Amino acid sequence: MANRNGDMYGLTVLSPIINDPALKVSHDTALRIYLQKLPRHEQSPFAGVSGTHLCRLVVMDDVVFVGHPAKEEHLKSKYLIFTSNLYGDPDAYLEGMARTHPQVVEDIWSHCVGFPGAKDPKAFADYIRKCQLETTFFFADVNDKTVEQTLRALQMKVEFTAFVEENQGKSPVELQKEFARFWERFGQLQLPQPGAKELTRHLAPGV
Amino acid sequence: MEKLNLFDIQGFVARGYNFPYACYLLAEISHHEAGRSFVGRVTEKVTSAEPWEQGKKPESTLNIGFTWQGLAKLGLPDVTLMSFPVEFYQGMRRRNRILGDVDQNDPSHWEPIWREDNVHVWLAINAQTREELTRRADELARLMEETQGARSLYTQQAAAIRIDGEPSTKEHFGYTDGFGNPDFSGVVRDTIPGQGKLMPDGTWAPLATGEFLLGYPDEAQELPACPVPYLLGINGTYMAYRKLHQNVASFRDYLAKKGAQYPGGAEKLAAKFVGRWRDGTPLEPSPEQPDPELTKDKRRNTNFTYGHDLDGARCPIGAHIRRTNPRDAFGFNGGLVNRRRIMRRGMPYGEYTPEDQQAHDQDEHGIIFMALGASLFRQFEFVQQQWVEYGNDARLGNDKDLLTGCHSGGRDRFIVQGTTDPGNIPFVCGGLPNFVEMRGGAYFFLPSLTALRLIATGSVDPR
Repeated sequence: MANRNGDMYGLTVLSPIINDPALKVSHDTALRIYLQKLPRHEQSPFAGVSGTHLCRLVVMDDVVFVGHPAKEEHLKSKYLIFTSNLYGDPDAYLEGMARTHPQVVEDIWSHCVGFPGAKDPKAFADYIRKCQLETTFFFADVNDKTVEQTLRALQMKVEFTAFVEENQGKSPVELQKEFARFWERFGQLQLPQPGAKELTRHLAPGV
Repeated sequence: MEKLNLFDIQGFVARGYNFPYACYLLAEISHHEAGRSFVGRVTEKVTSAEPWEQGKKPESTLNIGFTWQGLAKLGLPDVTLMSFPVEFYQGMRRRNRILGDVDQNDPSHWEPIWREDNVHVWLAINAQTREELTRRADELARLMEETQGARSLYTQQAAAIRIDGEPSTKEHFGYTDGFGNPDFSGVVRDTIPGQGKLMPDGTWAPLATGEFLLGYPDEAQELPACPVPYLLGINGTYMAYRKLHQNVASFRDYLAKKGAQYPGGAEKLAAKFVGRWRDGTPLEPSPEQPDPELTKDKRRNTNFTYGHDLDGARCPIGAHIRRTNPRDAFGFNGGLVNRRRIMRRGMPYGEYTPEDQQAHDQDEHGIIFMALGASLFRQFEFVQQQWVEYGNDARLGNDKDLLTGCHSGGRDRFIVQGTTDPGNIPFVCGGLPNFVEMRGGAYFFLPSLTALRLIATGSVDPR
């Protein structure tokens, strides 16, 4: 199971890009321009695709042989590379992507050969799976947590270390009281945005 | 491993001198021909790594290094200049974002000489007495005058802090500094436990020569990237030079304030910051109190590992010496650390304020920190970026090193892990100020004696 590391799935997809010499702006150029303008961090549409720990989109024009003697080789097509470190089942993940972000899926993969459209999530997942390569080796920094669990843990680190710092040295009775209050407030906190660069503290003391 | 040619390696590279006085002259090369003549005259006086006669230290030593701009100014061929690693070409100032030298530590706040590219040469004198130091500095000034090859820009004085009139290895925060350096193959000295690389049977062996000297295989059994011609690189190494100002008053106030809240007391908290008690006793073998006998014993004072203390109950995971040399803390029997070792050469500068006197942050005092290795990128820069200014490898998120990290905005924290023992409970130190501030620095290449003669005679030929 080279595509799996713990609960994490390493999805590697190469979708051939349509070659249409009649176009003024080729599909690969249009796709590259679109991807370059895609918002980043928490604004990225992929931050909203549940289960995405990390994903990447690259337009690959060709591969060049480096070595001796020189050999001229070319790919049959240009490809869109899509890689994603995702939590859970890849089919459910891809179907979810088509369901929650059909326009983004449409904008990206409509440049690719054989794309069935985003309207039918299962057809999209099947298409991507057809374009899938075995990942063979990938690294997942944390391989046993959902995105939500990871974000909650990071939020806990920020809030709890601040709590400890402000309450250390208090009597057990006071500490228990403060902690009960902290715990209740922590439970009400919204989950931080996936893709956010920095987590800020929300539970300031005495509020 | 064959024996190294110690007559060809600069003494400063092969050993820590431990002299009580030092000065670092930073100079500009005026013209390539005159500059080469200056380098030639200096080379005759450069101290090599050859054994000292009857083991007796000389009165003084002299060593030399060049920035990339310095080598360019000396007229090295473009092919050679372009064969140096990019980080050396860019220099420390342009690497500031990688190094975390931002905000208060941004190069725009560095001392004026470091804000330009005029520092071409670093000349280091170490001496037994102040008189000898002055004599050697005067000698260099005369050489500059006679050859018209270099102009002194700045002289950085440094000296061991004197305690009760005797030179010590203390730094301004009161810690005993300079315990050990990585052992590497080919240097004639006994392997000291804790200073090389950890072997599967728990013993220590010297690191590969190529980790610290160009021209020899490194820990990956590869030859380090070397400028062309090869002869210019072999037996040379790189150095990161950093002038680190110490906010002594801030440190003492912070330690007093937090030490009053910490059940183990201020001295224990100071030990937790660094991983050593202030007398130098390592926390790992002696977590409850300093042990002067252990500290004096060279075979024991660096001989420890963290594998049995992964929770940091004895030595905190973020303690300074554990961050910068994690030994076996990341598993794989220490294998992840062997390519990230640096040789340190440090010396305090400025007046020491005794503990019972009022210190001031703005007083001129700190440490000249110098890190040597075959790859600035892989060794010094990695340690600085990943282990000092970041904490992920140690599972500390984006926490930084308490002592030397750049804590902008006072939001950083240091976590003292602990146990249920009331004297060793976990403790969080928040609102960290900047204890250390960067005042400037540069990357230098310290060539072999042979390479110095190549440079001096204009014989560097990359073909």
